[in-house]
Amino acid sequence: MKDLYQQTFSSVAEVQRHFERHHYICDERIATCVFIAHNLQKPVLVEGPAGVGKTELAKTTAQLLDVPLVRLQCYEGLDEAKALYEWKYAKQLLYTQLLKDKLGELLEGTQGLRESMAKIHAHEDLFYSEDFLEPRPLYRALHEPRGCVLLIDEIDKSDQEFEAFLLEVLSDFQVSIPELGTIVARVKPLVFLTSNNSRELGDALKRRCLHLHIPYPDAALESRILSHRVPELSDRLRTEVVTFVQQLRELDLKKVPSISETIDWARTLLLLHAADLDPGLVKMTLNILLKFETDIAAAGEHVRSFVDKARQRAGG
Amino acid sequence: MQQTLENFYKAVRAAGVAVAPANSIEASRAVALVGYRERGILKHALSMNLAKSHADQLLVEECFEQFFRFDAFKDSARDSTAQGGDDPTANAAANAEAGGKEKSTAAPRYEGELPLAKMLMAGDRTALAVAMQQAARDAGLTDIWFFTQKSLYTQQILQRMGLRELQDEIRALGEGSCPTRIATAGALRTAKDWLYEEVRDFVERQLGMFGKTAVQSLRERHLQKTRLSNIDLRDFRTMHELVRKMARRLSALYSRKRKRANRGQLDFARTLRGNVAHDGVLFETHWKTRFVDKPRVLVLCDVSGSVQAYSRFLLLFLHSLNDVLKRIDSYVFTGSLASVNDIFDSYPVAEAIDKIMAEHGFGGSDYGGMLLDLERECLRGIDHRTTVLILGDARNNNLDARSDILQQVHQRAKRVIWLNPEPESFWNTGDSVMRNYRPYCHLAKTCNTLDHLERLLDDLLRAATAS
Repeated sequence: MKDLYQQTFSSVAEVQRHFERHHYICDERIATCVFIAHNLQKPVLVEGPAGVGKTELAKTTAQLLDVPLVRLQCYEGLDEAKALYEWKYAKQLLYTQLLKDKLGELLEGTQGLRESMAKIHAHEDLFYSEDFLEPRPLYRALHEPRGCVLLIDEIDKSDQEFEAFLLEVLSDFQVSIPELGTIVARVKPLVFLTSNNSRELGDALKRRCLHLHIPYPDAALESRILSHRVPELSDRLRTEVVTFVQQLRELDLKKVPSISETIDWARTLLLLHAADLDPGLVKMTLNILLKFETDIAAAGEHVRSFVDKARQRAGG
Repeated sequence: MQQTLENFYKAVRAAGVAVAPANSIEASRAVALVGYRERGILKHALSMNLAKSHADQLLVEECFEQFFRFDAFKDSARDSTAQGGDDPTANAAANAEAGGKEKSTAAPRYEGELPLAKMLMAGDRTALAVAMQQAARDAGLTDIWFFTQKSLYTQQILQRMGLRELQDEIRALGEGSCPTRIATAGALRTAKDWLYEEVRDFVERQLGMFGKTAVQSLRERHLQKTRLSNIDLRDFRTMHELVRKMARRLSALYSRKRKRANRGQLDFARTLRGNVAHDGVLFETHWKTRFVDKPRVLVLCDVSGSVQAYSRFLLLFLHSLNDVLKRIDSYVFTGSLASVNDIFDSYPVAEAIDKIMAEHGFGGSDYGGMLLDLERECLRGIDHRTTVLILGDARNNNLDARSDILQQVHQRAKRVIWLNPEPESFWNTGDSVMRNYRPYCHLAKTCNTLDHLERLLDDLLRAATAS
């Protein structure tokens, strides 16, 4: 992959430019991270609050490199069978039944157990070949002929055992399957792991990764993101929206609105043909920004003053 | 440059970020990739490789700003200019700053050969800073650990920069009666003092960067071994941090998922056996399953007057245990038993402890009464999976001990553990009734330092999860 895409990532500024062309606005930090990850082939552990674009970063990188995105969503109880491979047991059983007669034919003319056994051994281990293997995301990622972006989403939701299992994949890009041997990646994938920090990850895993923390964007960055994601929005409304949301983030809320909520809200306002923020409209649509009843109630008191300030900032 | 990076890693380690050799190698590779041209990118590249969490990241970035700060000899020179114009060094420095255009005729000039004196008189700060960095490196300043080493390192650096020669020069200039030479000597003397101040400041800053861990770990080690009753309230925060660290470590070890069903590998043996009835046609599949019960822990903590000094820490410990073990029931008692699960769940640790102490604390303990409550409320819930942990000194104020109830508990529970803050030689003295309870405990131990706590907790968890 590195050879194929050397051109794409020759400097940090270029990464940033490419991302922007794909409507992913990032700061220098994110660009540096992708640049290093790509060139040194290190996995990236992306942390940050929900909705700041952790998953989006991996998706955009895949688009940028023009390789498939292989996604592995983690959850409690995820294990090798779901992540790497599984034998198609039903198929195996079915085939043993179907081939029963053939076995008789095969063994015709042999004398004694030893000879029969030798005859069976002469055939390869048919039932444990790739034909009976159900590939799961990790296996697929290692097999992609042109490389891929592997997104291991919400790694903190998985168990510790699974985390330990990932170590081999992340450091050497290979896995061991007892029946088939060690499988090495054809082209090393670019790996993104995301975490919401619901569980402390192990040091061994962290040590192997670049650490990237994506915070909530500041006003300037958020405004740029909005202009790329919702280009139909007028400059004035955009400034108002951003100022309002930035103020909202200062409040003590259960779930602070992220950039994804800001985008949704902007789209909603566009749909409602709003030219300007007004307290009534904001109160009506506040449930798009805030997801808890208590948060909406807490923010409700401030709506008027926030809107005033937003309009002031927008020059109204 | 590699040496500079090594020193930077040292500073980062001193700031409390664990940097493994593999990390530093990776960081050096990343630096080689991005280059040194852009400060911002260099900072990001380093912090990404060295930090493992957001908190670490902030620390590394702060370290970066502090470490790659080249303003030695700058601020103070400006300050002294502002303070008074009659300071000859300041004048010289100011003149040099103005590009030497209007060289004051009154300012003494140095015409000797000594490089340090030349730098000082010319006010060449960059050269001075470079010389100081070089001297500091030669003196091994990054090994500084304690504040007592400050003057030692200051002297070493000054010597390496050529302080002795400078002093000789000043003396030589001062002798004789030529007024310009005497003025130069005076200027040099002032400059020397200024140099001393600067180097001292520099060493102090470096101590701040490199010496932090030593002091911190020394303090933590000390706290770990100190009797809980002797620890000041002032150290409560540090202590809390320590206990939390301990709990986190233990939780990482023991809080694994212990239940897993119907997934994973096919259990071939059971599948074959199960399908005998179907004439060997593999009809029903059986899967390898694994059930391990989560342990249940019941903690009873004495908060009466006699263990007052300990109880805050016992509660702190209890709070941390709450994080480690999912199924833990916490009770406090003096005379009667009171559940504190809710308080622990809904308040942060310091507040929770204050609240408990205010509501239930002090007063004389009555172990018999507590055991009666236990019998009434919890005995039915105690079974072969339950571990009962009692924290208290067993000083019963000469009341009925009711050890018969503890005997019942002992019969039902998996383990009964008694942690007593008093050393064993004090047990059974005065109103202590440890002798009545001891036969019904699987384990009775003294526990009054963090080290004890950790060891016992480790035992407890190991036993609890081994089932």
